[in-house]
Amino acid sequence: MKPEEVVEQVKASGIRGRGGAGFPTGQKWSFLAPAMPRYLVVNADESEPGTFKDRIIMEYDPHQLIEGIVMSCFAIKAERAFIYIRGEYYFGYTRLVEAIKEAKAKGFLGKGIFGTEMNLEIVVHRGAGAYECGEETAQLSSLEGYRGHPRMKPPFPAVEGLYSKPTIVNNVESIANVTQVMRHGVQWYRGFGTEKSPGMRIFCLSGNVKYPGLYELPHATPLREILFTYGGGPVNDEAPFKAVVPGGLSMKMLSADQLDTPMDYEAVAAAGSSLGSAGVIAIDAAQSMVTIARRTLGFYREESCGKCTPCREGTGWLEKILIRIEEGDGREQDVDLLNHITKFIAGKSFCPFGEAAVWGLQSNLAKFRPEFITFIEETNPDQRIPALPIRPIYRPDTGEPSSLTVSAIELVGESPLNRDTLVEIAHLIDIVPDPGNA
Amino acid sequence: MQPRNWASRSPSFVAIQNSSRWRAAAQTIRYGPGISQLVEAKRHKNKHYLISDTIVLDQERCVVCWRCIRYLEEWEDKPQLGLFERGGATIIDIQPGQPVNAKTSGNIIDICPVGALTNRVARFSFRPWEIERTPSICTQCSIGCNTRLDTRTHTLRRVVGRENMQVNDQWICDKGRFANGWVNDEKRLTTPLVRKDGTLQPVSWPEALTLVAEKLQAIKSSAGADAIGGIGSAKLANESNYLLQRFMRQLIGTNNIDHRDGADIAALPSGLPALADLMKPQYGPDPKYDVIMLFGVDPSEELPILDLHLKRAVRRGKAQLIIAHPRRIELTRYNGPFMQYMPGGEVALLNGLLHLAAKAKEDKNSDAVKLVAKVTEKQLREVAGVEVDAAKRAVELLANAKNALIIYGPMPARGANGVQVRQALQNLANYTGHGERLAYVGLDANSQGCRDMGVLPNALPGHVGLEDELGRPHLEQLWGVTLPVTPGKSYSQLLDSAGDSIKALYIMGADPASERPNWAANLDKLDFLVVQEIFLTETAQMADVVLPAVSWAEGNGTFTNLERRVQRAAKALGNPQTKAAPDWMILDHLAGQFDANWAHDSAQSVTAEISHAVPLYAGMTWNAIGDQGRQWDAFGLRTSDDYAAAEQPVLTAEAGELRLMDGTVLYDGGTLFGLTRQLSNVAFGLHVAVNPADAARLGLEDGTAVKVRNRYGILTLSLKLDATVKAGVAWIPASLAGAPVGALLNGGLEVVSIEKTDN
Repeated sequence: MKPEEVVEQVKASGIRGRGGAGFPTGQKWSFLAPAMPRYLVVNADESEPGTFKDRIIMEYDPHQLIEGIVMSCFAIKAERAFIYIRGEYYFGYTRLVEAIKEAKAKGFLGKGIFGTEMNLEIVVHRGAGAYECGEETAQLSSLEGYRGHPRMKPPFPAVEGLYSKPTIVNNVESIANVTQVMRHGVQWYRGFGTEKSPGMRIFCLSGNVKYPGLYELPHATPLREILFTYGGGPVNDEAPFKAVVPGGLSMKMLSADQLDTPMDYEAVAAAGSSLGSAGVIAIDAAQSMVTIARRTLGFYREESCGKCTPCREGTGWLEKILIRIEEGDGREQDVDLLNHITKFIAGKSFCPFGEAAVWGLQSNLAKFRPEFITFIEETNPDQRIPALPIRPIYRPDTGEPSSLTVSAIELVGESPLNRDTLVEIAHLIDIVPDPGNA
Repeated sequence: MQPRNWASRSPSFVAIQNSSRWRAAAQTIRYGPGISQLVEAKRHKNKHYLISDTIVLDQERCVVCWRCIRYLEEWEDKPQLGLFERGGATIIDIQPGQPVNAKTSGNIIDICPVGALTNRVARFSFRPWEIERTPSICTQCSIGCNTRLDTRTHTLRRVVGRENMQVNDQWICDKGRFANGWVNDEKRLTTPLVRKDGTLQPVSWPEALTLVAEKLQAIKSSAGADAIGGIGSAKLANESNYLLQRFMRQLIGTNNIDHRDGADIAALPSGLPALADLMKPQYGPDPKYDVIMLFGVDPSEELPILDLHLKRAVRRGKAQLIIAHPRRIELTRYNGPFMQYMPGGEVALLNGLLHLAAKAKEDKNSDAVKLVAKVTEKQLREVAGVEVDAAKRAVELLANAKNALIIYGPMPARGANGVQVRQALQNLANYTGHGERLAYVGLDANSQGCRDMGVLPNALPGHVGLEDELGRPHLEQLWGVTLPVTPGKSYSQLLDSAGDSIKALYIMGADPASERPNWAANLDKLDFLVVQEIFLTETAQMADVVLPAVSWAEGNGTFTNLERRVQRAAKALGNPQTKAAPDWMILDHLAGQFDANWAHDSAQSVTAEISHAVPLYAGMTWNAIGDQGRQWDAFGLRTSDDYAAAEQPVLTAEAGELRLMDGTVLYDGGTLFGLTRQLSNVAFGLHVAVNPADAARLGLEDGTAVKVRNRYGILTLSLKLDATVKAGVAWIPASLAGAPVGALLNGGLEVVSIEKTDN
């Protein structure tokens, strides 16, 4: 097979990216700029709350990933692949390193793979715990050794990515799917799921269900089936499901009446959310939506990278308001204020983090506004806000020499013009031989 | 509630209306302060703390745009500021205990959009709408950066960069930005002084000028015109220097006129072809030069904005740097061939390079090669002290370069050896095909202009020879006299023979007494000494008459920078209580005492006269020069392509002796620099820097008080270990306050011994 044929086959299979955006993998590959060398970066920085599928692939089936990397690199003609693994996944990291060693020993990696001219080295890089580094351009910055800040797109990574070379950034699960497509063929792969969302999907079920865990099911499996058939229904029978996050914490919530939504990209989008990374989080009636909102924003405030203002300042502000509401100092107008602030973050930030940070809150406020209002009225009937601390006092600069550097000259008197006392000159014109040198 | 028209009646509002910020201010006055929706407690960060001796950071004002970080990374290549923490807690800060010390760090103040970074020297000393802004230039070095002087109530409040894409982009260095406390110092001279009964006493202008004229005329008639000398200054404007040399030549009738670093230096008249060819603007073309060779010049300390341009040319334009310097200067970090030569081995190095270039070409018969027939690689190693590998790499780069620029500074070009060094440079440049791009750069603001104005004992204005058949009659006709033809004495000759064959000196803006103690002694022996100055310097303290002048900020003047760009420095402020006058006015009145009517009514009319007197400056009137300056064409002045042998006596050092080297540092703690109090900590200090290996050999430690001694004198300094100094060399920067290294060098190359002081 030629590399182009692999790209065509992956394109025909219709694999959609499993990191969250759902962009077709084969299409991404075909955007590659012609420049060489090229790189493949496998995004294993799985930090989305409620998502843990890549972890299991890397820990218990790393060779599926490595096989996928080899085939992907063959397709895009890359000779070096990077796995950017979340720093906390230490076990997964050791497993990957071992697996790469095994693959190398067998001749699946290194120089001249299977007697062909293809060379491939895989570098496993551990992240340092930043959620933002899951964003592809921030991941490339981080991989290059810089602060994990996103970069301007365009140029897209496929044109100018890692070290300014064409780079493909794919999720672990997407690459693992390449293995399946190449092994079983497009027909087999398209046998699962729908026309536009083909293939199987690993659903990460968590929250208030009886049996949380990973369930590999075809796309378009109804949400109800996942929650009840596989998850066993609500953990507490007296508290039915109130809301479900379908695709990781960043995505908008679905309410209890939307449980029949089939879990494929189009249907979830039609329901007003997004399939994202398929991290299904079930929330039952016993949970306070205020607490959920506060904890969600706490996460995003902590993880905002600080590059652009809406997200850097907005997430902190939102969290502060939510903390105040939770502590019993909320006002009814705060709910509108929250909504107002989210509008200045979503779509106005540099990278998708901004949307991710507020979509959950936006849907939460839209669907559970009465719950917020009731909570505020119960905890703060007088609508009072706490007293603000006084600003620190202004301390004027005294103009003294700084303590940062130590003075090298001693100023004599008021002005350096009176300086001749520092010089001792002997024998100005008459040359007197120095006894030491004579 | 204020009445509605309160705002328009307020006197401050009138001022606000005239400023660019009036809209915001007017809104606040009319409607009150804005109402915040934030009812939460605000985050508090560090308020106004020092991140360097001159820059204050207020983290609460910072919006984390990281322009400052990017400036230091992308232009200075010194990542001294960084982002710390994450998300909303992100702050910009220095690394713990490591202040920002890049030589152009002050530019981050200019590019800070919110005033989080402020100028410690200037902060809060004015309201932005209350200052007057005057376009000017900086006179701290010969780059001639365009600046803006912000003044208020007859005081210079702030200096900021002004854009000129041909010269400084929009950047200026920290010395130009911060070290201007002297302009408003209370020790400025405000009235003419005349020595009466042994002390200098204030007198009126007519009295002082009459005395000067009488005395000079008396000496002229008794001892001849050549017993009088004039010293100009490369720190002063073209107008001042032009009139001084006209005064000396026309009215005194002598060619005894020079300035520091004047005829004592083997210079070239043409300067850099163009600064813009060296730099790579943000979105501009690549630099014109692919190889740049620096010979005995350290842009990081001497010409910081050239350093900035070179960094950009290397990092963005992929230019190659070749560096020859006795010190491992900062730019050597860009990994070009670096030849650390021994002072006194300059010619040996250049001849060695020529030899290697010929060898690489397998050329054995050309004229140039015959000059270096006896040169061997062994000499290169032992006399010049240079690794042959680096020299070979340098020669290879020069030979393969399309456009190589070779820059040399005053340090290797001084004295009798300087002529040989220049010849050796010309040989090498011509042989490698870069002869027309060999450039001398002076270090003072008007080094180029001072030469153009003929403040030289052997040339008339416009680089015209004393006996030139075209230029000389032109000037004689303009000035209406017959000009003297005997070459005069150079700066060092004038001062060496002061009190002997020289009876009277007219010194304008120079301080030779602080340079060498024996010159101070000579000046004391003069019959008559006139000093035209802004401070009572050591020289002025010895004078018979002191004439108070004004600085570049207080008068109009034009300066010619190192690429021959003539630029305007307009009057930005004036002290109404001083009697100090511009140089041109003083000289005009003095000429009146000699019965000459020069009839200038302003500095601009002197500029106009220069444009007639100096053909190179034709058409360069005040208006024509404009805000961005005009460069004159050096087509006829380029280096000749003759070859000549260059030789230099070997400087031998006994065991225990070190070769002495001077040079310039940016923060020298000199007369003017020291008057800005905030900068006292960054000054270089009274050190002699030696290599740690030498210190160990001599049994000296860092910080020891030592006596640096040779046959010309002794300096008491503290020892500084500095690995950038070549082993076998002692380095004392020039113009350190109180360390006249010139005394020990005596205008040439010397060795010194270093020993501990007894106490």
